[in-house]
Amino acid sequence: MSWWSFERRWLAVIWQTLLPSGTPGGLALGARDVPMDRFLDELLACAPRRVTLGARLCVWLLTFCPLFVIGRPRTFPALAEEERRAVLAKLGQSDVYLVRELPTLFKMLGALGFAGLPAVQAEMGLAVRDSSAPDWAGEPKP
Amino acid sequence: MSGAIVELGDVRDQARVEDAADVVIIGTGAAGATAARVLTEAGLDVVMFEEGAHVRQEQLRSDMWSSFKHVWRDLGFQVASGRAFTPVLQGRCVGGTTTINGAIIHRMPEKIWARWRDEFGLGGALPYPELERIWDVLDRELFVGPAPESVLGKNNSLMRTATERLGIAGNLIRRNVSGCEGSAHCNQGCPTGRRQSMNVSYVPRSVAAGARVYATCPARSLITRRGRAAGVVGQFRDPLTGARGPEVVVHARRAVLLAASAIQTPLFLAKNRIGVGAGVLGKRLQAHPGTAVVGVFDAPVEMYRGATQGYESVHYWDERMKFETVAMPPELAMARLPGLGPELMRELAQYAHLAVWGVQVRAEAHGSVRAGLFGGTHIAYDMTDADIRVLKLGVRRLTEMMFAAGARQVLPGVHGLPHAISSVDELSPLFDAPDDPRLFHTIAAHLFGTALMGGSAFNSVVGPRFETHDLPGLFVIDSSVFPTNMGVNPQHSICALAWLAAERLV
Ligand SMILES: Cc1cc2nc3c(=O)[nH]c(=O)nc-3n(C[C@H](O)[C@H](O)[C@H](O)COP(=O)(O)OP(=O)(O)OC[C@H]3O[C@@H](n4cnc5c(N)ncnc54)[C@H](O)[C@@H]3O)c2cc1C
Ligand code: SF4
Repeated sequence: MSWWSFERRWLAVIWQTLLPSGTPGGLALGARDVPMDRFLDELLACAPRRVTLGARLCVWLLTFCPLFVIGRPRTFPALAEEERRAVLAKLGQSDVYLVRELPTLFKMLGALGFAGLPAVQAEMGLAVRDSSAPDWAGEPKP
Repeated sequence: MSGAIVELGDVRDQARVEDAADVVIIGTGAAGATAARVLTEAGLDVVMFEEGAHVRQEQLRSDMWSSFKHVWRDLGFQVASGRAFTPVLQGRCVGGTTTINGAIIHRMPEKIWARWRDEFGLGGALPYPELERIWDVLDRELFVGPAPESVLGKNNSLMRTATERLGIAGNLIRRNVSGCEGSAHCNQGCPTGRRQSMNVSYVPRSVAAGARVYATCPARSLITRRGRAAGVVGQFRDPLTGARGPEVVVHARRAVLLAASAIQTPLFLAKNRIGVGAGVLGKRLQAHPGTAVVGVFDAPVEMYRGATQGYESVHYWDERMKFETVAMPPELAMARLPGLGPELMRELAQYAHLAVWGVQVRAEAHGSVRAGLFGGTHIAYDMTDADIRVLKLGVRRLTEMMFAAGARQVLPGVHGLPHAISSVDELSPLFDAPDDPRLFHTIAAHLFGTALMGGSAFNSVVGPRFETHDLPGLFVIDSSVFPTNMGVNPQHSICALAWLAAERLV
């Protein structure tokens, strides 16, 4: 099942907030620098329907939660990066289990794409066995 | 007859496949492949059904997603629900879960066997000396031995340091590997074929002895004749797209063996209305839920070098916990690390300095398995409060061990605690928190008890000879029949019981 392009953008912003580029003392690569959009296509093509449906629902929840979480009447992608991070951090500390699992879900899905890429693994210091990217990633973005 | 592994691509053009064998086996994992090894070498003709694909070594990649996609069940997304969600990890491919497992070999503890004898009356059916005789053969054939120093790597040797400094028992893990290169890729599927999982050991050995394996071909129903199991019907199906191929009908002259695992076996039985009368089918699901503790060291640990799991401690087995090292792949580490945004990116940059060790609990909880909506599987599982207390203590002990080994910080991964701690005392609030599974992220990888063995059709699904009470000729030979969990890794016990069941058919 394909997602609306705005839903794809929302998810891209979530992943870019979780995995920013050029962190001092951290990885230089971030979600913006790798083809996470193609990983989403791969997820949608292969993952069980309940997983992709659940992820879609969670994208909506996160997009419209800032008012209730930090009192800002904006969607998640419309917030400044610092505020987006504050939303994720607050959700992650929630006493309500399902709420605090929200950031974990996006982190887990993002990790399967991002941290599986040889370029990212090399930055993490791994002795990478596969020099080519996984099928879904195709050629790296220029 | 000559053996072969047949997949959807080989038969796409055929309308139907028909075959016959002395014994038909459903599942090619620890139980199914072992039974095939025994039966084929005793001269019997064997056919095996396998839902997953036959993944060749050269197809295995080192990233987790590729492995999830081709080798794991449900792409690794199978979960049990309770108060918390618990991923229930299984393989789905030729070789079953042995294809992704850590190669840890243990014999069933005698205390567990004594419990099976005293509480469940199974001493006569499963004599311990018989099991020991079989384990000796399995050890030889699957190259079982302690992890050699040459592939220990730091993640494993640090746990040894910890046990020595704290004065607790620890040991090199006995593994079923031949010439392990220490690539720490066991969970992605061994890229060099060194781990003696069933896909490189008993499946090819059985095929060489004449077995036919229908892979990408889930078994669907049973053929019965004069009140006996007389065959199996399956249908080829692409594991990823679901595209269907020809139906396969295999007639069984002597027996049908069900070895589809403690999750899929009860589902198959329930679908075929077998074993439902006693009210225990799919109930009594037991597991060894576990969680991981991450240590941050000043010197590089490089857990991607060395045996994936090479060191363990069963020192506290009587307190229902076991510790083992586990080289966590970067994707799973990223999901487990506590940070978000720049903090996460800094944690990832120190991946080479992380050590990961796990605690698995011999939990007393009972869960259940049944068919879910839209052809899915519904697994319910909730650790008891007492189990959670064991888990808490296990996390505390692992944390002590990490500091004893020289960790600068520990990332306990527990809700309500700081992301990173510098002393064990900082864990204290955990013991004031409610005994709630939602404090942790746990997984379950060892599964038992969903088609219980026992003496009577009133309280069990199979009898002491592994034959179902309801349908003569149908035998359940996987860990579904285990009356309890064991507190140690189960593959060797599963193989031994399947071996015993197969020998009795010869
Ligand atoms: C990540 C991980 C690490 C582990 N590490 C260890 C370890 O180090 N040591 C250890 O002792 N244990 C370990 N285990 C557990 C161990 O591998 C399993 O307990 C064991 O493989 C179970 O054996 P089985 O034969 O019952 O099932 P499986 O090995 O799972 O095999 C069952 C097979 O049946 C197939 N099947 C299911 N339904 C059908 C159907 N309808 N038709 C056809 N085929 C079907 C499945 O696709 C599967 O291939 C680990 C498990 C996991 C998940
Ligand atoms: S550590 Fe590497 S070489 Fe050794 S058995 Fe596991 S995957 Fe194979």
